[in-house]
Amino acid sequence: MIAGDTVRSRRRRALLLLLAPVTLLLGVFFLVPLGIMVVYSVLEPGLYGGVEWTWYPFNYGRILGWPLNDYEEFDPIYLSIFLGSLKIACLTVLFSLLICYPAAFWVSRMGERRKNFVLFLITLPFFANLLVRIYAWLLLLRPTGFINTLLQGLGLIAQPLDMLFTSFAVVLGMVYIFTPFMFLPIYANVEKLDYSLVRASQDLGATPLQTFLRVILPLTAPGIVGGSIIVFIPALGNFIVPAFLGGSKVQMTGNLIERSFLQSRDWPFGAALALLIMASVVLVLMIQLTRAARTQTKGAV
Amino acid sequence: MFRGFKTFRLWPTLFNAYGFLFLAFLYLPLGLILLYSFNANPINMAVWTGFTLDWYATIFGGAGVKGSFDAAFTEAPERIFAVVKNSFLVAVSAATISTVIGTVTAIALARYRFVGKRFYQALLILPMLVPDIVLGIALLVFFVGAGFQLSLLTIIIGHVTFLSSYVFVVVSTRLAGMDTTLEQASADLGAGPLTTFRRVTLPQIMPGVVGGFLLAFIISLDDVVITYFIAGVGSQTLPLFILAMMRRGLRPQITALAVLIILFSFVVATVGLLLRNRKP
Amino acid sequence: MGFLQIASAHKAYHTPEGAQVRALDDVTIDVRNNEFLTLLGPSGCGKTTLLKCIAGFEDLDGGDLLLEGRSLKGVPAHRRPFNTVFQNYALFPHMTIAQNIGYGLDVAGVRKPERDRRVGEALEMVGLSGFDSRRPAQLSGGQQQRVALARSLVLKPRVLLLDEPLSALDRKMRETMQIELKNLQHSVGITFIFVTHDQEEALAMSDRIAVLSNGRLQQIGRSTEVYDTPANEFVANFVGTSNLFTGRVTERNDRLLTIETANGRRLAARSDGFAVGDGVTLVLRPEHLRIAEPGEGGAGCTIEGTVKDAVFVGSIVHVHVDVGFGRTAILHHRHERAGASAAVAPGASVRIAYSPESVHLIAAAGG
Repeated sequence: MIAGDTVRSRRRRALLLLLAPVTLLLGVFFLVPLGIMVVYSVLEPGLYGGVEWTWYPFNYGRILGWPLNDYEEFDPIYLSIFLGSLKIACLTVLFSLLICYPAAFWVSRMGERRKNFVLFLITLPFFANLLVRIYAWLLLLRPTGFINTLLQGLGLIAQPLDMLFTSFAVVLGMVYIFTPFMFLPIYANVEKLDYSLVRASQDLGATPLQTFLRVILPLTAPGIVGGSIIVFIPALGNFIVPAFLGGSKVQMTGNLIERSFLQSRDWPFGAALALLIMASVVLVLMIQLTRAARTQTKGAV
Repeated sequence: MFRGFKTFRLWPTLFNAYGFLFLAFLYLPLGLILLYSFNANPINMAVWTGFTLDWYATIFGGAGVKGSFDAAFTEAPERIFAVVKNSFLVAVSAATISTVIGTVTAIALARYRFVGKRFYQALLILPMLVPDIVLGIALLVFFVGAGFQLSLLTIIIGHVTFLSSYVFVVVSTRLAGMDTTLEQASADLGAGPLTTFRRVTLPQIMPGVVGGFLLAFIISLDDVVITYFIAGVGSQTLPLFILAMMRRGLRPQITALAVLIILFSFVVATVGLLLRNRKP
Repeated sequence: MGFLQIASAHKAYHTPEGAQVRALDDVTIDVRNNEFLTLLGPSGCGKTTLLKCIAGFEDLDGGDLLLEGRSLKGVPAHRRPFNTVFQNYALFPHMTIAQNIGYGLDVAGVRKPERDRRVGEALEMVGLSGFDSRRPAQLSGGQQQRVALARSLVLKPRVLLLDEPLSALDRKMRETMQIELKNLQHSVGITFIFVTHDQEEALAMSDRIAVLSNGRLQQIGRSTEVYDTPANEFVANFVGTSNLFTGRVTERNDRLLTIETANGRRLAARSDGFAVGDGVTLVLRPEHLRIAEPGEGGAGCTIEGTVKDAVFVGSIVHVHVDVGFGRTAILHHRHERAGASAAVAPGASVRIAYSPESVHLIAAAGG
């Protein structure tokens, strides 16, 4: 019995003890590294790797158009690769959405046991190694792969189709990899959908299309938005999928970053590219957060 | 029944057909790997020339490699065992450490009220939202700058930074479903905070803790991108090893290895998912 | 020196909106040894907060708790010789019944043979012998309740704290448990502090009742005291049903007072301690009111009215009488078979009569 040692002060000490590990971990190995990267992105690249400690905004200049002309030129290829990555990420989101949305309805109308089993089946491939899943598509898509061999065997084509090393292959590979990410948030929303509202809409004379557009779609929108965001983020920064399924023909920002770090050893440039990706991610999250906040206040009124 | 569209008799059938296509899309590529891994054809896996277990045998060193062409593409069993050992060492260590940190943090955020709670909640979600490549290079820059030798240790640290968040989320869900009066009851019956944690809280959240551990274990075991940047010479993990093999060309040995990896991951994931779904 | 003294306890909460709520406002209670004390009040009155502070789950902001003169400040819950029976029982779902009951002994380091013996005794005491190896989920609500009781009592606490433990039971079960709890308290000879919002439950079980409202102690006393002589209008309304009339003493004749209300109604009451000019509130219990026979009744001891409703509840009829000026009086009329209730049919004009001795007078607030 220590006098003055109240429930509150004891709990405060326990709390500090419990929060210490995560504070240290994320402080030292997460926030500090991200901070260093921000700093590096505005430093001059060293001659043989590393950095010179001088203010140097031209890493961004090389990408966005204000290079230091003595040394390097503005090369629109960087910007076009960045925009191309955005496009591929958006297409990935769009196609995963298109295949997952109906599937969510398919699962939601099942009986309890079957539903759990199918949910398990849909989640499971997520746990298979990323490389192995890409490997499967290499075996399917390459000139001597399963699809070409099959089509040639059936006499449908004479020459193998060039499916590998195309944007199509990259988008397909990413849709395949991120399907569980898109499916689960949508499913969580579709599952909660109150079908009496659908019946009410029909009862009030709406056609199935009207019911879908004006009742079902708005009610499942949060799942669509959530799924889209968590597919968009890893798709935008991906470099493994384009490295194998895009080859040298379809490059994404991730491949540029990888090369500037591990080959040309131009760290500041790579950091600048990485921060552009981060900026896009933050932008998307901010839009979503303000949108969510707005719907919440609207709901409160 | 898709009750909203009950009048259309066509809908249920179409939906089922679509659902099976969806599952086929998910599983046929994996099934193809399985099939190819038994194909004896060493040159083109798409042309079936007979059943063989040789490719599995080469992984375990049970069969010699015929011809110098294949030998150039085949890894010795010792190399494979070395990287598998590395991978398990990393995955077990990273999963253990992140399970401790994630659980402890989940308890702090679930059971205490304090200023800055929202900050911690956001901070813990962040590592899951930052693209892998960004986290990977940030850690690389940090480790090199801070004078760390890139090794298995840096890989473990790197994994723990984002795996803790996954464990945190899983355990938090479990804690949210737990009756807090149980902890009060334990204190009331004379148990100190540590006894209460060990005998009441921990047994209650155990499925979440084990589930979180397995999730962290499997993600660590599978991680390519972050490991790719922070692995040093001599600290190759299995995914990096496969990455290197795939860059050299697609050989049947990779196919057989891929099947083993898929099977192992599926078993661990199944146990994890079963535990997570068990009601508190 | 008291047994357990709650000395001007204060406790405030901050709502998420930033407002401050006084959960306990200068509450002082001397809890006696071996008594059955009930903390009674509506939800949010502070009774559960007080219980949690006694148990040690929360700190008081001000004031103190003294057990036999020694302050409990800084003594954590697990070191206080008190045990709690929780509203939801809080039985550990991952332990058997025997493990649940033996938990406290085990934690205290009691050896297994001794522990098993005492667990066995506790199970027998609550009539659950043979349930040792079951899990809480396999038991009914009433059985879980008994396990929770046994789990606390096996530790022989100085005080047993009960947080609305009967609220989750159905009516029949609740009535059985009320009697059992009361008998149990007598046989174990431990102080029980029982929290409830149910005034009937409080009256049925308690040695003493402490009525709380808005964090303040309204009245403390034996059940009959609280019921017969409520300290204020809140207690009069909360404990039992009351008909209240507020007015001013206009005449005093020996001990018979005449009170005139603002509406000019003149009512008689017999009481000491009030003088002409005092503001008072009359408390008339429904069971002290009756329908007057035609021609009966002294001046001042009757109220004219019209029957609004007659609610038959079994042995009695609750008669709601409109007594004018927007007021309704409730009286309990004994139910008789065969048409006698025609007198209390809605619409009938009636005179309500009472004896001046049955009136309890409260000094009106600010009067």
